[in-house]
Amino acid sequence: MKSLYRTIFFIIISVSILLFSAAAVHTYTAEEPEMSSRLETDQLPVTAPIKPEDDTCFQCHVDGSFSNIWTATVRWILFGAAGVAFLFGIARSASVWKTREAWIPIPQRLTNYLDDRFQLTDFLKPILSKPVPDWQRRWWYCLGGLTFFFFIVQGITGIMLSFYYKPTPAEAFASIQFIENEVLLGSAIRMIHHWSANAMIVLAIAHLLRVFIMGAYKPPRELNWISGVVLLMMTLLFGFTGYLLPWDQRAYWATTVGTEIAGSIPVIGDLALVFLRGGWNVTSLTLSRFFALHVLVLPLVTVTSMGMHFIMVRKQGLMKPL
Amino acid sequence: MSEKQEENGVPFYPDHFTLEAKVALGFGILVVLIGILGLFFPVGVGTPADPMDTPIHVKPEWYFLFLYQLLRFIPKTIGATAPVIAILLLAVWPFLDSKPDSTKKQFRVRVWVSAAVLIIIIALTIWGEVS
Repeated sequence: MKSLYRTIFFIIISVSILLFSAAAVHTYTAEEPEMSSRLETDQLPVTAPIKPEDDTCFQCHVDGSFSNIWTATVRWILFGAAGVAFLFGIARSASVWKTREAWIPIPQRLTNYLDDRFQLTDFLKPILSKPVPDWQRRWWYCLGGLTFFFFIVQGITGIMLSFYYKPTPAEAFASIQFIENEVLLGSAIRMIHHWSANAMIVLAIAHLLRVFIMGAYKPPRELNWISGVVLLMMTLLFGFTGYLLPWDQRAYWATTVGTEIAGSIPVIGDLALVFLRGGWNVTSLTLSRFFALHVLVLPLVTVTSMGMHFIMVRKQGLMKPL
Repeated sequence: MSEKQEENGVPFYPDHFTLEAKVALGFGILVVLIGILGLFFPVGVGTPADPMDTPIHVKPEWYFLFLYQLLRFIPKTIGATAPVIAILLLAVWPFLDSKPDSTKKQFRVRVWVSAAVLIIIIALTIWGEVS
């Protein structure tokens, strides 16, 4: 029986490899199809975008001009929730009716369910019951955590902004105007993103000063300090790359000056300038590059560094001052 | 790390966790207030970028103003490498100052040094803003 399974296994593997190789050969050797069976660009069927006044979703979800709250959705949610609560009451009564057992509250039921499968309580108990001494519950030990709080705020508002932002020179400025004027709560989200960036930088510097003054960078905490410096650099780079994205005069010329200064570093200056600008001048390549850095590279590096930073703090604990 | 018997403390969950949750909630309310403010006084946009038209006053964001102001007196090469060297110095500082504190004096020295550096940077930032 085992040899049958082995045979089938080898057949599946070899057929997969053959098919994959055939697909690879086809991709690189197939010729263009004949002209008569392919449409030219101006012959392709055109699907025009729906005008905003005809789009049924626009007025509630983007514009905010539709203001009647008593809609079918709201009725479904309200009466549906009442119905679910009623049905739950029936289920609860029925489940304890015959056996006369006490009803276990839902949070406890959930904990029991997870414990039976993952032994979650045994894992979490030492972590959650760790004592926090009173001297650690002072406001200056909150600064790092607050920086992280504003990082989360930036992540959420940044994702919301990236739903409407268009990272090309032709459309960037207009998309920011669209966010501010047309999108529901767009100006609020942008305001939060703008000021949380400043708050994060201020709090990161305050946290750095607290750690420096208390000498909490000394051994055994040197590597934690280095990860902290990396995080500070990431925060400033977030600000630098994000500043270009509106593609207005201020952003464009501040970036030109900033990258010019980076270019005056001896030895690596030219490399730094061309790397940042995606060329010798600030162009659409620069905007794409800064957007990719701001949205993909910097978040990944920051999250990794934060993970290490938090693990080290958790493992080593706070340094007790004299 | 084990807790010494003479230290007063609270368990992480639920006591300290609820304290942190309240702090986070407070700052969350602050964030929502900033958002409401944004509905009435939006951030706004300037004029669209024009590569052919250099404005007279070009300034970076406020957190780089102190560097920008410094560059007006220091030649460009030094002005660009000095921050890099400063950051590297900051990164390796624990290896240069690695003895644990023996007196309160070292603590006070660090307070004064931080205060001096902070005041210089703030002064340069304000100067960069007004000039």
